[in-house]
Amino acid sequence: MDILSHLTPMFFGLIAAGTLIGIIFGAIPGMTATMAVAVCLPLTYAFGLENGIALLLGLYVGGISGGMVPAVLINIPGTPSSITTTFDGYPMAKRGEGERALKIGIVASVFGGLFSAAVLFFFAPVLADFAIKFSYVEKFLIILLALTVIASLCSNMLMGIFSGVLGVWLSLIGTYSITEGGNGEPRLMFDFMQYYLVDGFSLLPVLIGLFGLTTVLLDAEKGFKDDAVQGKISLKGGAKFRFNVFKGQLLNLVRSSGIGTLIGILPGVGGSAASVLAYSQEKNFSRDSSQMGKGAPQGIVSSESSNNALTGGALVPLLSLGIPGDSTTAILIGAFTLQGIQVGPLFIGNNLDTWYLMMIALVAANVLMFGIMYFAIRHIAKVIEVPKFILYPLIIMMCVVGAYAINYGIMFDVWTLLIFGVFGWVAHKVGLETVPLIIGFILGKSAEVYFVKSIESYGNLTIFFTKSPIAAFLWVLIAVSVAFAIYLRVRNRRRPEEIES
Amino acid sequence: MESHWLSMFDVTIDFDQSHLFFPRIVTTILVGLLLVIVVTRFRMIAPAIKRAGRVLVGSEGAFDHKRFFGTLALTTAYFYLMGVLSDVFPNTGYSFLIMSVIFVFLLSLLYVDHLTRRLFVILVLNALIAPALAWYVLAELFRITLP
Repeated sequence: MDILSHLTPMFFGLIAAGTLIGIIFGAIPGMTATMAVAVCLPLTYAFGLENGIALLLGLYVGGISGGMVPAVLINIPGTPSSITTTFDGYPMAKRGEGERALKIGIVASVFGGLFSAAVLFFFAPVLADFAIKFSYVEKFLIILLALTVIASLCSNMLMGIFSGVLGVWLSLIGTYSITEGGNGEPRLMFDFMQYYLVDGFSLLPVLIGLFGLTTVLLDAEKGFKDDAVQGKISLKGGAKFRFNVFKGQLLNLVRSSGIGTLIGILPGVGGSAASVLAYSQEKNFSRDSSQMGKGAPQGIVSSESSNNALTGGALVPLLSLGIPGDSTTAILIGAFTLQGIQVGPLFIGNNLDTWYLMMIALVAANVLMFGIMYFAIRHIAKVIEVPKFILYPLIIMMCVVGAYAINYGIMFDVWTLLIFGVFGWVAHKVGLETVPLIIGFILGKSAEVYFVKSIESYGNLTIFFTKSPIAAFLWVLIAVSVAFAIYLRVRNRRRPEEIES
Repeated sequence: MESHWLSMFDVTIDFDQSHLFFPRIVTTILVGLLLVIVVTRFRMIAPAIKRAGRVLVGSEGAFDHKRFFGTLALTTAYFYLMGVLSDVFPNTGYSFLIMSVIFVFLLSLLYVDHLTRRLFVILVLNALIAPALAWYVLAELFRITLP
């Protein structure tokens, strides 16, 4: 068994370290799991594939879980996906049940995480087997579907589509790669830029800029006024946590985890969508939802199980189709490429050992997250008090390492970081959507190759509709996603109170 | 008849120009979408630009100019000087170490609200220890390329 040789103390130590660092990032408001992965990326350069994956998955799971800490204690979600945890967590904490609320969230989180890991384990290989048969036509349509789904679920559909197309446009800057069957000619740039942009902008510096530097700039603009933690609630005393609080919550746990996993599988749909949907479903379907919003454990259960279920869900399209499910997996795609892994339909079949190790790492990360948070929650809660004037300069420093080392020492990659950091700030101000933008950026080059090669092979545009039943089915899905988005908008316009709820 | 109808969708791509085929389509869609955005929000754009201008020059809104532009200026200087210094100490990571110490200290100083003597000591120690630790672990232990 080759796998067993990789299960070293180092492997599990890195998962634990990643989970802990992730929890800390998640627990600091404004810092996310994506940022944790981006900042710690340079550490993985030194490790091999297996250990690198261990660290990255630990960071991912920890980062999503840590968000509940400030959500419960100071009513500020640490990550966007813990927004609904504040609804019941903070009222509970105000009643002196902060520790109980957090432990309910921790147990729900580990359930959601393991549930989605199981779905990933059984579903990703099936999807990959199916996707292996895809030709360039279907692959192009899959990317088109992914971008349509992302854009249609944005708060502003027009801006979502524009952001996605802008991402694709940015990815095309550079030469049309000869290795991909292109002619090696430059496009979308001036002559003086050719020296720097032969291969276009590197993916990871772009992502690190958008998620690291942009966050710093957005906070710098506010002048760190809300840095002082106000109204923080002590964890000492209060009602004790008991597992019997989960009695009658199995349906809620399974439904919310299912929703989280499903939303995770849809590419580019943010974490907040999963927890908001799971929370509203619990409110609609539970026998007694009268206490929800006033400090009911069932609200925390639905919120936290759904947001942790995102992790396994978001890895499904990444590992089976090569399409990232959210912003964190977008960075993971870059990290995997760096380790020499090409994620896509062939990944699982060709790297069976890595696939199993990944599953072990994901399950271990969830279990370790539970252990660390359940027993050390009082210490972790102190993290939210670490001032940003200490943290942010260090984050920029680590961003530099990540960007510079990615191509073994290219200073232009560091400038890319600054360019996209400022671009991210401007994008935020003018209402561009970051997630469709980066997914468009990641998939843009592949979309070009699939599109152009399809036309070169068949010479007729109708091939995109008539190639196979799968192609026709993908068009149906694209139409359904657009129609669904329009339906949601019309319904919300008619019943504005539903938007608020 | 049917083949004649289908031939309307025939497309041939000249290999020499194939690098421009997809970018042209994407650029067209992008410009089209931009026009739709401008047309549908025409009334909102001019006031928004005016307001943004007033915020940037400081006559309106809560925009921390010192910290925002300070961050931009320090980060630009940090990247530029790191590049210059890395030619003096190539492949050692010393440029990263030296510039990071200065950058971390100055940026923390820019961000801190009420500077006390104790806080000053913490900032100095943080600026010395954190970059040194990062440099040692990454450049020395892990042999990662640093500027």
